[in-house]
Parts: sequence; structure tokens; C-alpha cells
Amino acid sequence: MFIDFFYSLKNAGIQVSPTSFLTLQKALDMGLINSLDEFYTSARAILVKSERYFDVYDQIFAHRFEGAELSEYQGFGIDDISRAMLDEWLKDPQALAQALDMDEAELLQLTPDELIQYFKARLNDQKGRHYGGATWIGTGGSSPVGHSGHHPGGMRVGGISRNQSAVKLALERRYKDYTRRGLLTQDMVGEALKRLRNMIPVGSEDQVDIDKTIYRTMKNCGEIEIVFSKRLKDRLKVILAIDNGGWSMDPYIPVVQTLFDYARDQFKDLKTCYFHNTVYDVLWEDPARANKPIPMEHLVAFDPQTRLILVGDASMAPYELMAADGSIHVKERSGKPSIEQLKSLAQIFPHSVWLNPASSQMWDYTPTITTIRQIFPMFELSLDGLEEAVRHLMAK
Amino acid sequence: MKNNISNKKFTGAARYVLDDELASIVNVSMALEMPLLLKGEPGTGKTMLAHAIAESLPMPLIVLNVKSSMKLVDALYQYDTLTRLNDSRFGDSQRDVSNIEDYIKMGKIGQSFTSKQRTVLLIDEIDKADTDFQDDMLDVLDQMEFDIVEIDKTMKAVHRPVIIITSNAKKDLSDPFLGRCNFHHIAFPDPKMMRKIIRVHFPDIDSNLMENVMTTFYRMRKIDAVEKKPATRELINWIRALKSDPDFKPKTLIKGDIPYLGVLFKKSQDYECAEEATSHGHVI
Repeated sequence: MFIDFFYSLKNAGIQVSPTSFLTLQKALDMGLINSLDEFYTSARAILVKSERYFDVYDQIFAHRFEGAELSEYQGFGIDDISRAMLDEWLKDPQALAQALDMDEAELLQLTPDELIQYFKARLNDQKGRHYGGATWIGTGGSSPVGHSGHHPGGMRVGGISRNQSAVKLALERRYKDYTRRGLLTQDMVGEALKRLRNMIPVGSEDQVDIDKTIYRTMKNCGEIEIVFSKRLKDRLKVILAIDNGGWSMDPYIPVVQTLFDYARDQFKDLKTCYFHNTVYDVLWEDPARANKPIPMEHLVAFDPQTRLILVGDASMAPYELMAADGSIHVKERSGKPSIEQLKSLAQIFPHSVWLNPASSQMWDYTPTITTIRQIFPMFELSLDGLEEAVRHLMAK
Repeated sequence: MKNNISNKKFTGAARYVLDDELASIVNVSMALEMPLLLKGEPGTGKTMLAHAIAESLPMPLIVLNVKSSMKLVDALYQYDTLTRLNDSRFGDSQRDVSNIEDYIKMGKIGQSFTSKQRTVLLIDEIDKADTDFQDDMLDVLDQMEFDIVEIDKTMKAVHRPVIIITSNAKKDLSDPFLGRCNFHHIAFPDPKMMRKIIRVHFPDIDSNLMENVMTTFYRMRKIDAVEKKPATRELINWIRALKSDPDFKPKTLIKGDIPYLGVLFKKSQDYECAEEATSHGHVI
């Protein structure tokens, strides 16, 4: 029973396992599920193991049992985007009117649904990708629409209410807020970085070492001698280097801030440095990049086990990376191009990663990202990217 | 034992308001004898659920508070070597030194297995421990048995405990772990549900106070800059604080004068944000 349903969940990218499907069958056999409502909740509890997929589950459930339409772009939900945009735009009707190429009066006559229809029509008209520029739907660029139009807070459509039929609940899509594309919060960063640790014994000797105690006691002809040892504590050394210069990093400030905040209380031995676009002769210890330089030569003295995490969008003019006098700061003129400096950094610290707040889909469009990726393993500054980065940093 | 289970259905407890969805999930999990993994914002009653189940069924509740340094064996049993060493040296105890079993103490999971009665085992904040701990523990809970290496004895569960696991993490737990649990995410209660919850905790609450508190609370949750939004737990504590203050009048809340902000916002940054948003007397 419900094999179609199972496969449509699977095809939508929810990780449903055959075992859990059998469990559901068992529950049905045992007569535990007697109504559609109960089926909705039980099937969700048994099959879907993360609230991130609750939204997709709701959509598929509604589709399967009520014939609700699936949104055109599976897994992304174009409806959400257009609704969120609409929400944004309604605060500023003029911008909306401009973007849709009609005047405000005309716009005000449309109902929200018509507006969304119109928006979708425009979206479909436009085949192919737009990148940069001030035209409208595309990535980057100065248009209000496109890649960054995603509304991180998520807009709750319909609101929550209880005591309704399962299908209605499913149609409400209450779990939209939890889908994977949410903002990176401190909790999530914390979770991802948790595995980044290096346990070594420190502190006072307050833990009974049983093996040694028995050994010493035997040596002592049975006279008890209790041996204490130190506890294992995390003493991982981390250098966090953040690109805080220029406007290109501005959109990512909140994300980087979160990472920074968390790192500050997670790692006992954390050094934070700053750079602009890429690393030249020095890293700076002060955010203003003026007073406390750490010359590259000094970094050699650091423990090579130190984990180096560079955060930046790695987007700049190619000469800034390649030319011997590429730095846009007049004082940095050692004659070594930045790319050489990056290479030696990667040599000093074998455990290093570059976190890029820009979406990985965009990386191929920026030549300097491609170059830097050849030197440092690059990961997206998202939950998944962070986890991969941590895995990479902890690899022996 | 089967009959025993089907007769007992969980329908809520004196101090816990249960929604139908969660009730049916709890009952299905109990019938299928699978652990139930609960996630949700802190303060939405994940831990309280286990207490409520234990209270209403009634079964003894055993709580395992997971810590980051915890090893699985700590949760199962402890072999008290030092006492044994001491006894063997001085020999003035009732215990038999040659019998290691006398020095085995059951941990929380061990206790829930050996209990003569069916128990509710709450494993709180599983996400604090590392992945290995989680996977190994699920093996034990799946098999319903574990070995005590020191005496080469297998402990089998007398009764399968009802297992409730909570997690605060936004991160997913490992796949094998999830495969063995049922999952539910406790959503934040809507105002209607919240009113019920408040009534359960404060049966004699003045309706004027209730309305003012509710409006203010949901408005406070909307302050964007706040990182940890106040949840049910904070609300209940806040009402308790308001009620215990003889000088407090519900009307002041509407005017934007909100006492005891510290009960709602516990991070200093959040507190400042909230204060900023409310202090000017304008509506948030």
C-alpha cells in the first residue's frame, strides 16, 4: 500500500528508507492508523526524519491525497520565491512597477494572484541565465530580483492552526520555515564546528586513573595508592582569517559575523586576522588593517597543526592575485604576487580551508575563485559546506 | 505485555497540553516499540512530554542527561573498581570481593532495562554527545540488551522502556540513528494552543491579564534582531513573575511598559534589543 506515495517522497529528495516504509506497513497492520489524519502524522513521524523535509512532505501529501499541484520547480518552490518577493515589493510598489515594466496605477489593479501569474509569465519568457548587469531576473547585479531574492526568514503563508483535516494542514505547508535554505544561525555553526577539536590532557590532576592505580597498588604490596591524571580537553589551535575589506563582502557580513561569534567562544586558542580580497605580505590583527600586521614570515613559527580557515568571497580583479605589485595598498610591495603568498600559506598549514559565502553555483563565473580553489580546498559558507570543511580539517 | 501496551494510551497529563498530532505519534511509537525523537525550539516542552507520559500512564521516569564527554558505557553501567580495591584491602564491607557483580552499578539505561516495571526513559539532549555515542546507543536500544564485559554477562531488558529522545540541534543526527527512531518536530504553539497551555498552568488567571500577556508575548517574538526568541517556558515563568508582583497592573503592558524583561530574554544582546524596542513606549 502507498508504494506510489513512498516513491514520490523519495523522488522529491526526502531520504526515506525501505525499513521505515515497512515500519509504516506494520503500523497499518496493527491497526494503529485509522484515519487520514492519523496517516498523515504517523507516516511523517515514521518516514521523514528531519523538519527540513516537512514542507516537501506536506506538498507531496497534498498532491497525492488531494490532487494539489506540485510547484513547478521541485525542491525549490518557485511559489515561495514569488510570494516572498511580492511581500518585499509591496513595501515599495514603485520598484515593483518598474521591475515589471508597468505603471503603478496599473499594478494596483492586479490581485496578488494575478501579480504572481504575471511574474511567472515573465520568468518563463526569459530563457537562459542572466548574470550581473542591471537587467532584471538573474544573479548578482543591481536588480532587486534574482538569486538573492530568496527570503531567508521564510514567509508563513496561512499561519498555523490546529484541528483541521490532514490535507488542509498539508496544504498550509507549515514547515516551510525549516527547509534547508535557511539562514546560518549561531547554533548551526556551532553544531558544524563541534567536531573540530583536538583532545589533549590539561588542567589539574583530578581524574582517577584506574589502570595506574591498580599497578601502583600492586607495586606497593597491596597498600592502596590512588593515581590521578589530567582530563582530556580540547586544545585546537585555529587561525581565522576574514576578508573584511571592500564592498564585495558586504552582503555576507551577517553570516561571517555568526561564524566569527561562534568561533570566539568555541576555540580557546583562536587568532583572528583580517585581509582585503587576498593575502599579500601581511595579515592584520586589527579589523581596520592598519596597526598590527603579522608578517608572513612570522606565520612559519606557528604550530603546523594549526587549522587555518580563510573566509572570503575570493572575487577580485585577476591582477590583484597574479601581479607582483597587485596589492591595492601602496605599502605592500614585497614583489611577491599574492598567489605565491597563498601557496606558501597552504604549505605552512596543511590543514587549511577557504570558506566562501558566495553560492557554489557562482564559483565558475569568477576566474579568481577558480585559481584560489586550486590552492585551498574551498567550501561554501553554508551548513553543508561547513560540515564538509570540518571533515576536511580533521582529516589526518 | 502486548495487551498492556494497547490498553494504555497516552492522552495528556494534568500539566501538559497535548495536541492530537503529537498524541497519535506518541501512541504509534509506543505500539511499534520504537524510540521517538523530538526536536523543536528550546522551551517548547520536549522534556515535559516525557514527564507527562510517565505521569499519566503511570510509569517511573528515568532521565539520562547526555553530556558531551559522556561515553556509552557510563549510561549502561559502572564498574566501581576503587570500592573493590578498597574492600579487598580492608575487607570490612558486606560485599563479596571475589564477586565482581557486587561492584557493578547500573547506569540510567541499565536501570530502565532492569526495572521490574515498564519505564519511560528520557534521553535528554542527545545532540550534545558525539555521533559514535549516538549510534552505539541506538544499537543497544534496538537490541534491548548490552554486555557487561567485566563479568561477561548480557543484560536483557525485562520490559522495553518507552524511549523519548530530545535534541535541540538544528543539525541532523546520523542516518542510522534516524532510521531507528520515529521523528517529530514540535512546532511553536499558536495563540489558541498557548492559551490552553497557560490555563493549565494558571487555572485562575484573570482574562484581562491573559490577553495582555499574550499580545505582548507574540509581539516580542516578532522582534527580528533577537536571536533566542522567548518560548513557552519563558512565558510561563514570566506570568509567574508578573503574578507575584503586587504592584503590577495588566494595563501597563499595553502602554509598552514591560517589567521583568530578563525572564523573557536571557542573552544580554537580546535583552538590549528588546529593551530598545519597547522602551520608547511605541508599539513594537
